[in-house]
Amino acid sequence: MSVAGRRVAVVGMGGAFPTCAGLDEFDKKLFTGQSLIREWPKALQYPKQIRSTVAGYITEPEMNLEAIHPVPETEWPETYVDHLGRIPDLNLATADLGCVWAMIGALESIEMAGWTKEETESEQTGVVVASGGGGNVVSRHAWHAFYELGKKTRMAGSHTVDRAMSYREAANVSCLIRNRGVCESIISACATGLGNIGYAYRLIKFGLQDRAICGGVEGTALETFIGFDAMQVLSKGFAPEQSSRPFDIKRNGFVCSFGAGIVALEEYEMAKARGANILGVVDGYFNNSDGDGNMFYPSYDGQRRLWKGLMADAEIKPEVVKVHGTATPVGDILELISVVDTLGEDGYHISAPKAQFGHMLGAAGSVEFIATLLMLKNQKVLPCINSDELNTEPENFQKKEGWQGSDKPAAAYRHLISQEIVEKEINQIVCLNYGFGGTNSAMAVSRDDR
Amino acid sequence: MANERQEILEGLLEVLRTVRTIDPAKLEGVTEETDFLTDMDTPSTELINIAAKVEQKFDIEFEDEDIDRMGSKVKDVIDLIIMVRERSANK
Repeated sequence: MSVAGRRVAVVGMGGAFPTCAGLDEFDKKLFTGQSLIREWPKALQYPKQIRSTVAGYITEPEMNLEAIHPVPETEWPETYVDHLGRIPDLNLATADLGCVWAMIGALESIEMAGWTKEETESEQTGVVVASGGGGNVVSRHAWHAFYELGKKTRMAGSHTVDRAMSYREAANVSCLIRNRGVCESIISACATGLGNIGYAYRLIKFGLQDRAICGGVEGTALETFIGFDAMQVLSKGFAPEQSSRPFDIKRNGFVCSFGAGIVALEEYEMAKARGANILGVVDGYFNNSDGDGNMFYPSYDGQRRLWKGLMADAEIKPEVVKVHGTATPVGDILELISVVDTLGEDGYHISAPKAQFGHMLGAAGSVEFIATLLMLKNQKVLPCINSDELNTEPENFQKKEGWQGSDKPAAAYRHLISQEIVEKEINQIVCLNYGFGGTNSAMAVSRDDR
Repeated sequence: MANERQEILEGLLEVLRTVRTIDPAKLEGVTEETDFLTDMDTPSTELINIAAKVEQKFDIEFEDEDIDRMGSKVKDVIDLIIMVRERSANK
């Protein structure tokens, strides 16, 4: 349980962001209202098999990496070369693409935090990082070699386990930075990114660790993309930069994206005492489940209980609510109503950063947390681009018997959803993310000088 | 015979140059007595990858027992390749 007086600061951040050379370019592109979504050449190679061909993807060269293919005619990346020399070859050998990004993000976070080698390698430093999916690229080639080609297991290489296991990102980051504290992964579908930060927050808040490297990752993988494409939940029929359109009446699915968001957390007084630059202070974290037995459909009751839990232990009066807002037909408006019914109809803005960079799956919560920290820094609300037209009619779920929430249509809340960047005083932001299985997570983060 | 061992050693070195976890500097002056683990600091998990690459390079297939018994010196790998070649020729 919480240790009285113990608070948690965010002191570093880094990662991998589509079309961006690094965090600075990510900041610049977001706050000039740009979209990071592109037509994906890899998806276009399979025109008869794939519905959606837009994505927020990141190629190896864009991260100054090179994939080594032992057999040139296959796509199997045996390992990677880091042309900037950030990650040693020994660590690259045990990493899939997402793990490499996680390690880069961890190093960037530690550098920004200014932790010493002793602090980083301490028993009081934990690593809590995960992705939403499996090591699908590595697994595919291992299975193909065994089942289709009839090869010996060794042809899959001796790194199939460490490069594809569920907690590979945490394991790789920990082996790189050599921390002696906790090393674990929290895996909860699209709530993974925020879930890992939330768990790491609790480790510090509960007095179990003083520092943590945490976040979520989703390495570029067509193997991951096709599962969502099969569900017909991906955006289709728009120009790439217009494809991700949370709240818009014409939205028809999310844009599948990839990336990594890693942050460094530290016990507040320790960070303050050493003069660290405090990027934000976590006011609280809460997570729960819908409890309605539905794998996919969002729950108004689950989200209202989420807010109640978040508000139980912290003063929550945000100027911005960073929503999950994926641009799926039901989810956006149900989430909007649960926010409005909790906070009222005025006094804050809603930000849905997926409008600019799509849905990064296991990385969504953590990259959006970084976007949130940038909103605090810049004192600007990110725009809900593409939310061109809001429905003037209530949604079908609002017309059902027994509906408990507001029956107003989305258009009644246009004033909360800006298509332009809004400059204003921002002291606190609440971050929301949900995942398949009915899992919900919420975190409030404030400016240090609030 | 000596020629065959030299030819295999050169092929083996070509394979080892593609193994990113082996420091290229350690491949200078490799002899049959060089030990993968103690002299080249090869991670033990990498030996199985080297074996798999050797199979592709020399177009042979080891039995699982061959690899179980394989020592960690360069000469052990060369011996194994020659043995497997002879075994295939006699089949």
